[in-house]
Amino acid sequence: MTLRATLATASAAALICGLVACGGSPSKPPAAGVDVNVTIANGQVTPTNATLQARVHQQITLHVTSDATDELHVHSVPDHKFQVAAAPNQTFQFSVDVPGNVEVELHHLDRTIATIQVQP
Amino acid sequence: MTTDPVLLAHGLGGSSDLPVPYAYAMVGAAWALTFTFALVAFAWRRPRFDPDAPGHPLPTVLTTLVDARVTRWTVAAVALAFAVWVVLAGLWGPQTQANGLLGAFYVLLWVGLVALSLAFGPVWRLISPVRTVYLLLRRAVPERLGRPRLSYPESWGYRPAAVGLFAFVWLELASPNSASLPWVKSWLLVYVVVLLGGAWLCGQRWLARVDPFGVYSMAVSRLSPFRRSPTTRRIVIGNPFDHLPSLPVRPGVVAMLAVLLGSTAFDSYSSSPTWRNFADRLSRLAHGVPAALSSSILRTIGLLVFASVVALTFSLAARATGGVDRAQRRALPGQMAHSLIPIVVGYIFAHYLSYLVERGQQAVIALADPFGRGLNLLGLGHMHVAYVLSTHPPVLAGIKVACVVTGHITAVIAAHDKALRLLPAGHQLTGQLTMMLVMVGYTFTGLYLLFGG
Repeated sequence: MTLRATLATASAAALICGLVACGGSPSKPPAAGVDVNVTIANGQVTPTNATLQARVHQQITLHVTSDATDELHVHSVPDHKFQVAAAPNQTFQFSVDVPGNVEVELHHLDRTIATIQVQP
Repeated sequence: MTTDPVLLAHGLGGSSDLPVPYAYAMVGAAWALTFTFALVAFAWRRPRFDPDAPGHPLPTVLTTLVDARVTRWTVAAVALAFAVWVVLAGLWGPQTQANGLLGAFYVLLWVGLVALSLAFGPVWRLISPVRTVYLLLRRAVPERLGRPRLSYPESWGYRPAAVGLFAFVWLELASPNSASLPWVKSWLLVYVVVLLGGAWLCGQRWLARVDPFGVYSMAVSRLSPFRRSPTTRRIVIGNPFDHLPSLPVRPGVVAMLAVLLGSTAFDSYSSSPTWRNFADRLSRLAHGVPAALSSSILRTIGLLVFASVVALTFSLAARATGGVDRAQRRALPGQMAHSLIPIVVGYIFAHYLSYLVERGQQAVIALADPFGRGLNLLGLGHMHVAYVLSTHPPVLAGIKVACVVTGHITAVIAAHDKALRLLPAGHQLTGQLTMMLVMVGYTFTGLYLLFGG
């Protein structure tokens, strides 16, 4: 191997090692389930575009109070769909099997309620 | 499964990649910055890469095999059969997002083509179903009818392909519903009509210049180690840095690459809370307009802005040098365009790798049962997607940052070498400085978007 090739390989290796070493583990979400309170009133939903943390297989619970029917879509693996009725205090539970950025969308209002960062 | 339209990223459901951890992005950015300035300060002062370099010839039998009529027709026929299969699935399969057409269109075609072209060269020329159909039609009809009537206007260059690529990313990222089968089928119909109609008028050159996937594949293949020897046409293996500058300089070449890079960046940005909050606020202001339409218009503007910013910054950076006259300055962006390819490819892999690996499997599984009748082709129907990348976020994040940084380093090396060839003595160092800064800007933006915006 020439000197140049050795140097190139060494720097590539250093780059990869540096990246993996600096990875560290992200801040741990709480061990208990994740709860999200969602309110739909007068065509407005709160929260929107929130960022939440969760872990794989953790119970995620959506507490929904709504004044209109709608549909909740959870874009995860496996995916989930929930029918929202015009009623207070509805509860929907699900868990996610594969890590990723999971979006919880309100279908008819066309709003993203939250993005859940599901860590392994 | 409901059949009403569901707004999904890329027309496919499921989750997206976790953001790259902050530390990964920082290490990547530090490497990119250090390398760039080390290169400008210490690297070679005479151009080293030559598009006419001979390369190491591979055994003649390989060239003979690849060029054999039977090989080419077999590969083309297999690709055509696959395309027909996918279209039949789209026409008569279940009209839901589970339809194999969506995965084949957005994942296998858009990202798979990059991987294939990088590994083997400009494969689309060989496998393009429209090209195969055109060649078959020409054999079927009398010579008098099949002969091209016009010559392709060379001043158009790759501009039609840039428009075609924009049409694709528009459908994927900015149309009212990217997961809608009627939209995808109409897109494909227009694509086939434009290509076949143009080819009937202008012959094969139309396909080489206008087919967005062909031009995309050709540009990416410039990073491949395999190429044809410029003199003997034999297949040789050589340094991709010698291959890169052989990108043909035609009008629209910068625009084409800017659409690719800008759209990938917009795809990241448009899923960030910043953009979403902004989009929600605007759509609340526009009362009378349906939400889907106003969001589509806003995204179209966003896409245009991202692509224009890339094209504009790159062109300005290429032109920012002393010691050249006006005509030379105007030619510089095109002559430097090849150095944008590694950044585009690196970022596309960083952004879509898990899509290719995981959604690709999903698409293949869906195509094993295209009509939703329990047909189980090759036993694929009962397979489950192996989430090999998503289940290991640190590995995926490492690969993503490595892709972006490798693309950046390759790009600055290519730009440095070309600057030595193009710029007059005395301006070679200062003349490439803006380009280096702009490339660092692209890479930092890319890493920032991967980190989550």
